[in-house]
Amino acid sequence: MKPGQWSSWLSRARLSPERRRLLAGPTAVVGLSVVAFSVLLWASGAPAQTQAASAPPAVDIAVGEALYNAHCESCHGAGGVGGVAPQLVQVGAAAADFYLSTGRMPLDSVHDQPTPHTPYFSKAQIADIVAYINALGVEHGTPGPGIPSVTPACAEATAGCPTLSQGQQLYLMNCAQCHDASGSGGELSHGYVVPSLRSATPTQVAEAARVGPRPMPSFGPGQLSNEQLSAIADYVHYLSTTPDPGGLGIAHFGPVPEGFVGVIFGLGVLLVAARLIGNRG
Amino acid sequence: MSTLAERAAARKRAERSQSALDWLDDRLGSSKWLRSAMDKIFPDHWSFMVGEIAMYSFVILVATGIYLTFFYNASGAEVVYHGPYRPLDGQKMTIAYESVINLSFSVRAGLIMRQAHHWAALIFIAAIVFHMGRIFFTGAFRRPREVNWVIGTTLLLTAMLEGFSGYSLPDDLLSGGGLRILYSIVQSVPIVGTWLAADLWGGNTFPGNGDFFPRLFVLHEFVLPLTLAGLLGAHLAVLWRQKHTDFPGPGKTEHNIVGSRLWPQYFVKTNALLLFVAGVVFGLGGLVQINPVWVYGPYEAARASSGTQPDWYIGWLDGALRLWPHWEFRSFGHEIPNPFFPGILIPGILFAVIYAWPWLDKRIYRDYGEHNLLDRPRDKPLRTALGVAALAFFVDLTLASATDLIGNALGVPFETLIELMQYGTFVAPIVAGVVAFRVCVRLQRGQVHPIQRPVGGIMVRDARGGYHTVGAAHDGHEASAEEHGLEPAGAGPPAGASEAH
Ligand code: HEC
Ligand code: HEC
Ligand code: HEM
Repeated sequence: MKPGQWSSWLSRARLSPERRRLLAGPTAVVGLSVVAFSVLLWASGAPAQTQAASAPPAVDIAVGEALYNAHCESCHGAGGVGGVAPQLVQVGAAAADFYLSTGRMPLDSVHDQPTPHTPYFSKAQIADIVAYINALGVEHGTPGPGIPSVTPACAEATAGCPTLSQGQQLYLMNCAQCHDASGSGGELSHGYVVPSLRSATPTQVAEAARVGPRPMPSFGPGQLSNEQLSAIADYVHYLSTTPDPGGLGIAHFGPVPEGFVGVIFGLGVLLVAARLIGNRG
Repeated sequence: MSTLAERAAARKRAERSQSALDWLDDRLGSSKWLRSAMDKIFPDHWSFMVGEIAMYSFVILVATGIYLTFFYNASGAEVVYHGPYRPLDGQKMTIAYESVINLSFSVRAGLIMRQAHHWAALIFIAAIVFHMGRIFFTGAFRRPREVNWVIGTTLLLTAMLEGFSGYSLPDDLLSGGGLRILYSIVQSVPIVGTWLAADLWGGNTFPGNGDFFPRLFVLHEFVLPLTLAGLLGAHLAVLWRQKHTDFPGPGKTEHNIVGSRLWPQYFVKTNALLLFVAGVVFGLGGLVQINPVWVYGPYEAARASSGTQPDWYIGWLDGALRLWPHWEFRSFGHEIPNPFFPGILIPGILFAVIYAWPWLDKRIYRDYGEHNLLDRPRDKPLRTALGVAALAFFVDLTLASATDLIGNALGVPFETLIELMQYGTFVAPIVAGVVAFRVCVRLQRGQVHPIQRPVGGIMVRDARGGYHTVGAAHDGHEASAEEHGLEPAGAGPPAGASEAH
């Protein structure tokens, strides 16, 4: 249709301005959803998983010791023997790295429950303190669990290589009852908040499973092999980095936010529409 | 204010539509019915269109549902998935779950259809509840419309069942969890419960021998939708026969109905609403994720996820289960298991009261007469207060279904929330009811009832010397019908859009 024909068709259709206004809203909504639909179809391929392997920084135990004495000794005691806070001689590198890299330590007051924060120390400083705490265990002949290394998932199931499928099954079996199937967290009894896993790195996920930050249970190598632990960490990473195939994830809390959006937004918009349309004669 | 040319065009259009009508009439003899149908009056108040939001959601549910049935496979048999969604690759699952995963990732437009279907279900029931609220608070259920109240309540119940059965079809972790609870509730029915559960699921343990999925599917895509369609047809037929109610106002009596004709005004209005419903449902379906079954994984009895909730319209039942104290009763040598009370007895009593409401209302107000004019909610403070109290009760139960999430968000232990909401089942309705009652009384005092307001307007002269009316309550449908030039001249009843009851 040529532009001229189009406008003459319009004028022949002679929609009153009022009616044009009436139809503009629905037309816009339908148009928008067509666009959204096409974008969705076009973009529905899942992007490849990225997992940067960072080179381990050079560590300096002496710096670690100095930092420990300045920031930790007051609670954990000289040489990590314990004081108002638990001893650190046997906790090992996994616990030290987990508590420091998730910003749980240093704590402000012994009465606080440790919660995730932006880390207080730089990466290099954390490595130094971790090395110091690890050395304490080695000194006493009681080295704790080391930082678990996470093998990236393979597309095909091959020996010694974890798959996402393994990871999902293990995650749903061992972690979802507290952290939610989609990793968005929840609540335990007595008001313990279960944090979301969506910002945890694969290493932190594996560390958490080995350490078991109270009140989370710890999973030793007898319960989850290193390979299984890798699979879980890879799956959690996949969950939190892959765009949702269905569109906006609305907090990943399942039917409650969905119901909220459906009732408040969905019906809400339609009630406004009914209000706009309904009272016209 | 139309030019000569415009009038001629309008006449031509009218002739054209007349000849189309003649064609139909020659063949079907339908012009008399069609003429009266086209002239049917619909009141111009937005709240009357909420029922239509429900109706159009239902239409979309059926349309998207048909698409889904082409690909859904109701079988409890086990397969190993191999497909594009990597985390599920190589996992064992039922064919039912696999077919939903395929719908989401391998079938063209499958995901948007699934999501639109689910969003439409949420909006469908929300619209029914809102619609029901408008019927209740304005007294539209009074004689002669008790029949439609009863049909409507049955529609709501059927729609809830339809939604729950749909939620259960994919056999993911949430479906399975919901069915596991339903299984226990069915088992808890005194005397017959165990047999009933074994018959439905086929076998004495959950999830049975796999017969359940075909049964569920027949319910969801055949029995319940047909029931809904039949009931909806009856609902509309009764409405057509009895005509709409309307709010009191100038020119409105118990014996007439004022508003827009079905053709052409109301036709445009209702189709605009249909487009809106379709736009919102498909907009949400394309943009906002709902029920990501691939994240929940296939159902396995040993697994659980925190944050497992039913869809919102079942939330109040889940909440009732959470709030009910752990009491059990024995009588005549039979144990009445705990879930029976919150799962069956309480909803049963609530719906019995809803069904009986038109008759209870007659007793309360000693009013057995016919009513075509609506009450304003404030004019019946007691009824309004009871309705608001019931809503507060439902909201309390619904919130109780989300205690773990609310606790997480507010940092409050959920034991505290459960206790608060247990008190809330008594306190919230009373507080909300009393507040509603007082608000009604206040509003009543502060305003003149529209029926007592003067009809017409006041003529004023402005600074330039022109005259116009202000405060004209009735802005004249006659004028607008003429203006659009769509009335075939000399045909049909006079242009004033009103008819007798
Ligand atoms: C205000 C006192 C306080 C300070 C300062 C503090 N911590 Fe802690 N730390 C605690 C308490 C209390 C716990 C036990 C928390 C719990 O389990 O709920 C703890 C737990 C830990 C744990 C886990 C122990 C286990 O058994 O798993 C590690 C590791 C740790 N702290 C490391 C550190 C390091 C490293 C520093 C210094 C950077 C530090 N903390 C500073 C009070 C403190
Ligand atoms: C009994 C419930 C429970 C289970 C099961 C559980 N967790 Fe946790 N998890 C918690 C709680 C509670 C915390 C918070 C502890 C704290 O802050 O000190 C937590 C914290 C974590 C964190 C730290 C998150 C952050 O960003 O700070 C990670 C990572 C984690 N869990 C991973 C896992 C994995 C992986 C599994 C399964 C192998 C698992 N959890 C199983 C309850 C649980
Ligand atoms: C499947 C769900 C339902 C659909 C699709 C539906 C649809 C409709 C429609 C389109 C109307 C006419 C417009 C209107 O008055 O709003 C209507 C009227 C009515 N509905 Fe429903 N409805 C549903 C459920 C219910 C429920 C749950 C009730 C109450 C328990 C109810 C009671 C009524 C009554 C009494 C009328 C007549 C109202 C009047 O004339 O003022 N309906 N319905």
